[in-house]
Amino acid sequence: MNWIWTRIKRWLNRDNEWREEIEGHLAMRQEWHQARGTSLEEARTLARKEFGSPLGAAEKLRAVHIHPWIETLLQDLRYALRGFRRSPGFTLLACITMAIGVGASTAVYSVVDPLLFRRLPYPHDAQLVSLGYFGPIDNNEFNVVSSYLDWQHYQKPFQSITSMRPVEHCDFLAGESPLRLDCYRIEADFLRTFGITPLRGRDFTEDDDRPDAPAVALISYGLWRRTFGGSESVLGQTVTVDDHVTRVVGVLPESFEMPQRGDVDLMMPERLDATLSRSQNSSSFLRTFARLRDGVSIEQARAQMQPLFDETARLDTPPQLRSEVHLVLRSLRDRQIHDVKLASWMLLGAVLALLLAACANVANLLMARASARRRELAMRAAIGASRSRLVRQTLTESLTLAFAGCAVGCVFSWVLLRVLVHLSPEGLFRLQQARIDGRSLVFALAASVSAALLFGIAPALERPRSDSLIAWSSPRPTRTLSRRILVAAQISISLMLLTGASLFVRSLWKLETQPLGFESEHLVTASLAPPTRHYPSPAARTAFFNELEERLRRIPGAGSFALADSMPPQGGARGRPYSNLLIQGHPPVAHNGGMVLFRWVTPSYFETMHIQILAGRAFIEDERGAGESPLILSASLARRLFGNENPIGQHIDLELSGRWSPIVGVAADVKNDGLTEAPSLEYYRLRMKTAAPPDLNVIAIYRTSLDTPTLSRWIREEIRTLDPALPVTIESMEQRVGRLREQPRFVASLVTLFAVLGLLLAAVGLYGVLSFLITQQTREIGVRMAIGARPRDIAIEVQKHAGIWTIVGIGAGIGGSLVLAGTIRGLLFEISPYDPRSLILAAVVLTVVAVLAALVPSWRASRIDPMLALRSE
Amino acid sequence: MGRTDHLQGALDLLILKTLEKGVNHGFGITLHVQEVSEGLLRMEEGSLYPALHRLERERLIQGEWRTTENRRRARFYKLTAVGKRRLAQAESNWQSVSLGIQRVLRSI
Repeated sequence: MNWIWTRIKRWLNRDNEWREEIEGHLAMRQEWHQARGTSLEEARTLARKEFGSPLGAAEKLRAVHIHPWIETLLQDLRYALRGFRRSPGFTLLACITMAIGVGASTAVYSVVDPLLFRRLPYPHDAQLVSLGYFGPIDNNEFNVVSSYLDWQHYQKPFQSITSMRPVEHCDFLAGESPLRLDCYRIEADFLRTFGITPLRGRDFTEDDDRPDAPAVALISYGLWRRTFGGSESVLGQTVTVDDHVTRVVGVLPESFEMPQRGDVDLMMPERLDATLSRSQNSSSFLRTFARLRDGVSIEQARAQMQPLFDETARLDTPPQLRSEVHLVLRSLRDRQIHDVKLASWMLLGAVLALLLAACANVANLLMARASARRRELAMRAAIGASRSRLVRQTLTESLTLAFAGCAVGCVFSWVLLRVLVHLSPEGLFRLQQARIDGRSLVFALAASVSAALLFGIAPALERPRSDSLIAWSSPRPTRTLSRRILVAAQISISLMLLTGASLFVRSLWKLETQPLGFESEHLVTASLAPPTRHYPSPAARTAFFNELEERLRRIPGAGSFALADSMPPQGGARGRPYSNLLIQGHPPVAHNGGMVLFRWVTPSYFETMHIQILAGRAFIEDERGAGESPLILSASLARRLFGNENPIGQHIDLELSGRWSPIVGVAADVKNDGLTEAPSLEYYRLRMKTAAPPDLNVIAIYRTSLDTPTLSRWIREEIRTLDPALPVTIESMEQRVGRLREQPRFVASLVTLFAVLGLLLAAVGLYGVLSFLITQQTREIGVRMAIGARPRDIAIEVQKHAGIWTIVGIGAGIGGSLVLAGTIRGLLFEISPYDPRSLILAAVVLTVVAVLAALVPSWRASRIDPMLALRSE
Repeated sequence: MGRTDHLQGALDLLILKTLEKGVNHGFGITLHVQEVSEGLLRMEEGSLYPALHRLERERLIQGEWRTTENRRRARFYKLTAVGKRRLAQAESNWQSVSLGIQRVLRSI
């Protein structure tokens, strides 16, 4: 290390050192003259005269010390720039091609980087895992308190294991205006497990986490700035959270993220109570996370946890469900991105393929240019340029191109990213967080440089041959062969992208046009979630819902109206195990039936949603006054429970409660578990006037001819009169459904964009090669025409050239598509990745484009004038 | 050296030969060449330093700051092992060249 430092110091100090050396020389010469009796003045003059110009010497010294390669580099650069100025068309085309490749891939990279590659914002993030039960109840692993307490006690593979409750909304009051916040209840060691310390104040302690401790809270950085103006005095201040006086003890760091990437405003201690009975704790849900011990892998941890899991699952899950739950233990990253992992990798792969196609194109252009300059290069070699010097020269050119392309590409990627954000504003890809940052720029630069090496190396290695100095040598066949292979490669990449695009577009089309089981047009929904503490007793709730219904029904001109507690097509409806259902007078139903969804609806629900009643009847108003709430089954549930028997008039006990509900009708199936899944089993219960359902969430549904803003003004007004603090979310059904289509639409539009760009590149590539071939063979074509070939023959000849390589490319592309198809199966809806129609469509489109691209060159070839051709060269 | 400046080889040879006798600084080399050639050869002093630095870059000689007898700081150069080998080559090369030139001159 030391000698490097010495060298750097010397290098920085070199001008002084040279001056000192030369001045020393002059002084010694002067002394030498003085020693021979010359006067001081004269000695100085003599010394200077003998030395010559000190400035000239310093200049020569500098020339010695400047590294020769810098000089060569500058020379190469000047030469390259001069060359680019001479052929602006080539330069522009190469630059645009590079910019497309680099720009598109950088934009996609900056979208997927936070998902796939970025480190999670926790120290030693690779040690963090999410674990729990996985079953038909939830899309993610969950836990129950009783099992968790056992795991905490007996687990071996983790340094620490921690838990939190799912997010809940809480009402927050600090000063005047109430806020509705995203709140979490976390265990005392939650932040410590993730390696996070509060920015201000303190973390929770074990004492805070006891059931009877005074209420404390940590607030997010955002809430701190918004509500407290970032003031230090917030620590120790008391606020009101859900009517409880709570003391703020700390502020979370600005960069803090919840492990499942949810929004967070406030955290409170979780206060698990181990003294409660096992059955109470086993119906209380949690999310669990843990940090692995050093050197323990996820697989080892899973193996170590399995016996413990089996033990607690036996105690805490109902026997009917036991075979349907299993242990999930996976990295935190997988937990965060599991629903977009495949799509992210696919998009990255597609865009890298596009980059590859762009490289092939630029390589082609460079080689065309190199062949045109064969003679020049051979000349330079003949007068003494070394091989390595020529290679370096060519590489400098490609690198210069790459940097220019990179610069333009970065601008392009920024624009493209804006477009992407517009396409999918709040989707799963979290595009709001995607931006062109340092990492994206490094990626762009790396992509450009490796692209430059990729496309620059082929022409650089072309050995200049002295026979190219002789005017009439024709291009060597291998050279045009490699160019044609490049075109074929481009065509095959383009075909794969096209196939993918057509698969995604058709899948999206199926998704958008599939019958939902209800009509989503003209539906407007208003969702509310009244806080439980405002309506603590069943009587208060019943009164609230009855009044809400009356008020909302009154809105003039609103059309048909219904209330429900959840809505298709999203999941999220309440469910219970199929095996809990009991039919009066029937043997128990089969185990392992999964979950059955249910909703509490008012009688007009089916009419409002346009859900068909297949047998029996819909609910009626008169039934709402007294008695047991009647039932309507979905067609698939009726079939499952009763087979060919008539379900109408049968009675079912739904929750092992001894209360029998009569079945009055069978409704058509609706999409109720997202757009891509098959419909789940489902039944409907009537909302009675006498007793409100236990769930306070409620959705008002209107089938209306009013426009959404007008109706929403009316709705808000009514609800404000009822409860001024109650927030309402109003949206049209199409917005709700559209949100579920966001990811497929995003993927389809992006891949289509890449496919179009790829097609464009392939067309340009093919056109370029053919034009080049024709220029090279002008003389030959001239001769053939002179001895009687017809223009038509020449044109066909050129088309045949294009045809062969297009067919080779299409063949390779089909092969590649079939190999890769299986990997995107999970992204397609009701369409096989091997769908022959998509492949054929892609091949046809490519063939048409290839013919078009070949049209101009072949026409030009057929118009070659033999006389002119023979006279040239 | 005047005229023979473009024969870079000759300048290098003189420098290396002078340093073979021992460590010396730039002025010392000038002086030595001048004295030993009995005034026939005079180095163009401005060209000496670029040559010294080039030889140092090529690792034929190695420079080091030291103090002269007159308590003056100067950069002293020392012949390296590579330099010694190069000198032997250059010497025999020079001899055959100068022999050839002499023969040509005499033949007229």
